[in-house]
Amino acid sequence: MSYIEFQNINKFYGKNQVLKDISLNIEKGQFVTLLGPSGCGKSTLLRCLSGLEEISSGRIIMDGKDITNLEPKDRNIGMVFQHYSLFPNMTVEENIAFGLKMQKKSKEEIKAKVDSAIQIVELEGKEKAYPENLSGGQQQRVALARSIVQQPKVLLLDEPLSAIDAKLRKSLQNSIKQIHKDLGLTCIFVTHDQDEAMVMSDTIHLFHEGRIEQSSDPITMYTSPVSQFAAAFIGNYNILSREQFTSVTGKKIASENGIAIRPETIQIVTDPSEETDYTFDGVIIDNTPKGNVLQYNINVNGVKMKVDVLFRSKVLFENGQKLRLSVADHNCIRI
Amino acid sequence: MAGKKKKTGSMVVLIIVALYLLIPLVLTFLYSLFTEWISILPNGFTLNAYVELFQDSYFWQSIVRTLLISILPIAICTLVVLLAMYVVVVYVPALDKVMKMICTIPYAIQGVILPISVLGLYAGAPEPFSNRVFMLVCTYCIVVLPYVYQGVRNNLDAVSAPRLLEAAQMLGAGKFYAFWRIILPNITNGIMVSVMLAMSIVFGDFVIINTLAGNYFPTGQMYLYSAMRQSGQKASAVIVILFIITLAISLVGFGLQKSKKRR
Repeated sequence: MSYIEFQNINKFYGKNQVLKDISLNIEKGQFVTLLGPSGCGKSTLLRCLSGLEEISSGRIIMDGKDITNLEPKDRNIGMVFQHYSLFPNMTVEENIAFGLKMQKKSKEEIKAKVDSAIQIVELEGKEKAYPENLSGGQQQRVALARSIVQQPKVLLLDEPLSAIDAKLRKSLQNSIKQIHKDLGLTCIFVTHDQDEAMVMSDTIHLFHEGRIEQSSDPITMYTSPVSQFAAAFIGNYNILSREQFTSVTGKKIASENGIAIRPETIQIVTDPSEETDYTFDGVIIDNTPKGNVLQYNINVNGVKMKVDVLFRSKVLFENGQKLRLSVADHNCIRI
Repeated sequence: MAGKKKKTGSMVVLIIVALYLLIPLVLTFLYSLFTEWISILPNGFTLNAYVELFQDSYFWQSIVRTLLISILPIAICTLVVLLAMYVVVVYVPALDKVMKMICTIPYAIQGVILPISVLGLYAGAPEPFSNRVFMLVCTYCIVVLPYVYQGVRNNLDAVSAPRLLEAAQMLGAGKFYAFWRIILPNITNGIMVSVMLAMSIVFGDFVIINTLAGNYFPTGQMYLYSAMRQSGQKASAVIVILFIITLAISLVGFGLQKSKKRR
């Protein structure tokens, strides 16, 4: 039996069904990410687990107990929200102590736990500050401390980093990972950012229109998408129909819904010995620098293909230049 | 340089506004201090108007009545609106539109129509509905309802009340406890502003109280009305004292806000 079990969860808002027969198991101590575009149902599922939303049908089991109809306060689940939701009239330490006061802990215990939580999130010296005097990153750290100080069975993180700038986000990603590792918490993280999901997770559940499209570890999710949607959402794949594939490579391939090719698996051939299973010519339309990767958009027989190369020097090839490209058969994923 | 110019401009505007607001008050105060002022300069100086007022128990009773009739309906109305908004925010957000519609209706009722309608409906009704003070309190509740509601509503929006409630629930608080312990302290300052506004409206009312209560319940405004027929100096002194009382209430209100913020 898994630590958390979602059994045939359905959720309707009026006639609109946002969760469609979701069944999902989560093991204790895992860092699980619910990934998907806006409106796919990932946050709704999280809120159903927290008790903030009721489910229309199905059951939620946690630690062997049916919690489907329990109030949020009786579930012992911690939650970090996107917009922090700190209490403006309370200082940092009062915010963190709030949950412990609800649990009627002694003053000494509250003080010790609050101090420890403040240390974990590295907010020493900010104990007496009010939320309005903290930066976004600091506020999110307080929210994190406020949740972990209660030692919840599960920590839910609902897009906690999406309101924070890129640099600080990286640092908070590391903090959250470290806290997860140190405290051995079961964490369920919701995000629409596939890079963030890759960095953070043991397991990713990819959501699409109220259903789970694919569940796997990040590497499998990236290298073996099971559908067009997964390929497009996760890996920025080139997705070709069978006809387009034939038009590009001149060869036929057996596939039900098309072929997905990751841009970095297409090789620019400079020596005939580098040619693999499928070799074809194309003309560079333009290029886009993406950090350490340079992405070329290449016209191959009327089909636009993306090709990624490491950005080792300035521009390697000119726009309009003809290139010979090659891709191995095992990199052509049948979807 | 530009900053300095901007600062000077702001100061000039502030001074003009302050003068605009203070000149009538200062002149009223000066007028209340002089025996006669029919030529360019007044004839003499006297505190008679104030001495007379301070010795007049009828005046102070009317002031107490004014305070009572200002505070009671606003307190009742604020409590009812808060309870209603608790239900709306926590349980039935869909009712918010209905609340808004109901609470803004009194804006559309002309000053004199409301008391006449209330009087027509309830004058012959059994006690306590036909009691003039009861009618007055209830009517003022209706008058201040839009101001109190709008203050509560705006502040609930400003603090993102549903989000804070959810956070409190996730930390083990019940809905009612979360509303009174988390939401209420965060909207008190805003509510105080709308309460002050409502209070100033009730404090300055003459039409409703005169129509509904008349001589049953003479207030400061009605005392002022009768003083105006006796002497301009006395009426000015009443205005000054009423102003000082409202100022004191406002200062206490804002003082409470500040001390709450510090805590």
